[in-house]
Amino acid sequence: MRPLPLGLLCAALVAGSVLLDNPLSLAACALVATGLLAASPPPRGAYVWFAAGSALLVFLVNPFVGVQGLTPIWTGPQIPILDTEITQEELAFGAAAAMRLIGSSFAIAAFVRLADGDRVLAAVARVAPRSAMIAALASRLLPTLERDAAGLALAARARAARLDRRRPAAALAAPLVGLSLERSLSLAEAMEARGYGSGPRTRAPSGRLPGWERVLLVLAAGLAGVVAVAAPADSYRYYDLLGDPFTPAGIATAGAILALGAGAVATVRHIGRRE
Amino acid sequence: MTAAVHMAGVRYRYPDTERPALDGLDLHVAEGELVLLLGESGCGKSTLLRALLGLVPHFHGGELSGRVVSGGLDTREHRPGAIARHVGLVFQDPESQLVMRRVDHEVAFGLENLGCASGEIAARTEHALLAVGAGHLAGRETGTLSGGEQQRVAIASVLAMGQRILLLDEPTSQLDPAAAEELLGLVRRLNRDRGMTVMVAEHRTARIFEEADRVLVMEAGRITVDAPPEQAADLLAGSAPWLLPPVTQAFVAAHRPERPLTVREARRFAPQRRAATMVDPTAPAVLHLDRVDRRHGDVRALRSVTTGFAPGRVTAVVGANGAGKTTLAQVATGLLAPDAGRVTGPPVRGYVSQNPAHHAIRESAADEVAYVLENLGVPAAEREQRVAEELERFGLADLAARHPADLSSGERQRLAVASVTVMRPQVLFLDEPTRGIDGLRKLAVAELVRSLAAEGCAVGVVTHDLDFAGEVAGEVTTMARGAVLADRQPASQLAADGLFACQLGLALGCRSVAEAAALLRGEVEAVHV
Repeated sequence: MRPLPLGLLCAALVAGSVLLDNPLSLAACALVATGLLAASPPPRGAYVWFAAGSALLVFLVNPFVGVQGLTPIWTGPQIPILDTEITQEELAFGAAAAMRLIGSSFAIAAFVRLADGDRVLAAVARVAPRSAMIAALASRLLPTLERDAAGLALAARARAARLDRRRPAAALAAPLVGLSLERSLSLAEAMEARGYGSGPRTRAPSGRLPGWERVLLVLAAGLAGVVAVAAPADSYRYYDLLGDPFTPAGIATAGAILALGAGAVATVRHIGRRE
Repeated sequence: MTAAVHMAGVRYRYPDTERPALDGLDLHVAEGELVLLLGESGCGKSTLLRALLGLVPHFHGGELSGRVVSGGLDTREHRPGAIARHVGLVFQDPESQLVMRRVDHEVAFGLENLGCASGEIAARTEHALLAVGAGHLAGRETGTLSGGEQQRVAIASVLAMGQRILLLDEPTSQLDPAAAEELLGLVRRLNRDRGMTVMVAEHRTARIFEEADRVLVMEAGRITVDAPPEQAADLLAGSAPWLLPPVTQAFVAAHRPERPLTVREARRFAPQRRAATMVDPTAPAVLHLDRVDRRHGDVRALRSVTTGFAPGRVTAVVGANGAGKTTLAQVATGLLAPDAGRVTGPPVRGYVSQNPAHHAIRESAADEVAYVLENLGVPAAEREQRVAEELERFGLADLAARHPADLSSGERQRLAVASVTVMRPQVLFLDEPTRGIDGLRKLAVAELVRSLAAEGCAVGVVTHDLDFAGEVAGEVTTMARGAVLADRQPASQLAADGLFACQLGLALGCRSVAEAAALLRGEVEAVHV
């Protein structure tokens, strides 16, 4: 998928997750980002585990490090450094932070999984050829490393290694690093052999944006517009007492994000099926 | 004739090495020549090709003296990026040279780097893909291609750039016989029809030796033979016959004066074929696969496979790229579980992967061999003894303390086998054991395979190399699209006129150099054709 419409959509979700305050708006952004990641091709497990794990950690830790809020719901024994008085406001603030994390991480992950890496690379190469080379090495290395890791593991299993145990599995890390260095050298050599970095590059014409990607661009622009308009006014009070999230402006913003986001996710799914 | 390539007094040493990789090379290749480059692994073939593109020394560092001019550019004054406008290099491992995710973007990559006009890029990409028979791959992701498809895309990526000089480093090492034949046909067309200068480094010489205008043989960084094919065959007959095509080797071994380089010439010189021989009855199998199915994602890698492997026999498993040969070996050795069907056999089964680097995970050769025994809980005293015996048996005793990465490719291959055979398997599978190795090492691997079978092991050899299969196999199992096409046929099938026939089979109805030499000496029964 072309980077422009997808990039705008993901950037709008990241901006919404960072700039908006109302929990309804944050939940809407997180929900759309989750839908977008679900519409992207596998593997997605690593992104989900990382973002969801971090979000859960933030949600659980916040009440013990925050000392604000006037509505206690549980008080524990006194422990130095930690605040063991858990308030409703601290939990809500932790939940909002977790939603920000989910919304932005999932949006970035969806971009990585869905965007045409070659076009992203070409775009980067025009402004920073060296950075593009590193990006190319990284993007090509990951799948080959995956295959090398599988090959090493297979050869070890052929020699009766039980890789579910920590030590035998760790023994494969050093040869894998060695193989990855060899791979990166070979790839860098192949790029140089094909004239990479030898002078100004041109670009294969990419043609007009296909119809459904134009639809996505419109929806993404709409979503970005909603975030831009709502951000200055979408304030919400977490401390000392929670505000009411169900204000007309809050409901309208969240509703708009959900409607445009759902349309965008459906469009992405449709484009994915056509590809 | 104008020089495409000129080298004068070239010496080159890689950084931190003592021995020069190129040692006083002088070479002149005229435009439009097809040059075949031969020599043992590590003799300097790949370094020479890299020097012609300026990757040596600009990319690798090291010390270069002498003069290298390719495509009219002196490599001392021009970097590889500039030389790449005139010279294209396809590396040995296609997977390591694919940069982009999509095939058409991959082919366009070089054109974009050279600043080709945007309007031309799409057409040149399309033409290059069509020229290598890969037009249908344009929209595919490079990560999903088979080895043969990757090789074609790698060549298309170079062809698209429109250089006049094409360098190929072992281009058929990963291809099945049909794909290798097709690729060499393409190389011939590029040379003959488009007048491209082509230099090919290759170990499998059966198809290309006679096509070359010149044959160069390298040894320790020097060119020791530089002659037309017929003359080169005469020179090599006495010094390094393993570099010759199998039919030529047979005539050399039979002490015949003729030096045929092709099947057709061999038939002309010896219009007889081996008479049909008594076929060994199929030996009772020790390992049985019974209606085995196995999927890899959406692909049915094995479809109701029923076959067996007999003790004391070498069974070659042959078939095109993607036929399911490797999956069969991995299911047979218990590394993959079948989705359906049954595998029954002895408990100790070994598998040696096609990449010896995957068997190099410890700090020394001795530790590498000990690894499986440690995993099996063999007591230390017995372990040491068995490791010492195995290293001795494979000629690695002097290298016991060496790091596996510091061994030569042949030593690494032997170490990989030793690291599995030390557990004394009753069944052993070797996956592409001759991939990327030279003729001399191939003879050593053949000897090793035969000795393992002689000890009573049931040996399965998964291979594309039909000449090697002919040398070692007692039985042949042929696969296609995950199914067994022909189960445990006598190895004389490799000498028949089928799709999977070795060169000696096509020429003389024999499957090994020794058998063909005996036929030519009149020591076995023949029929005239």
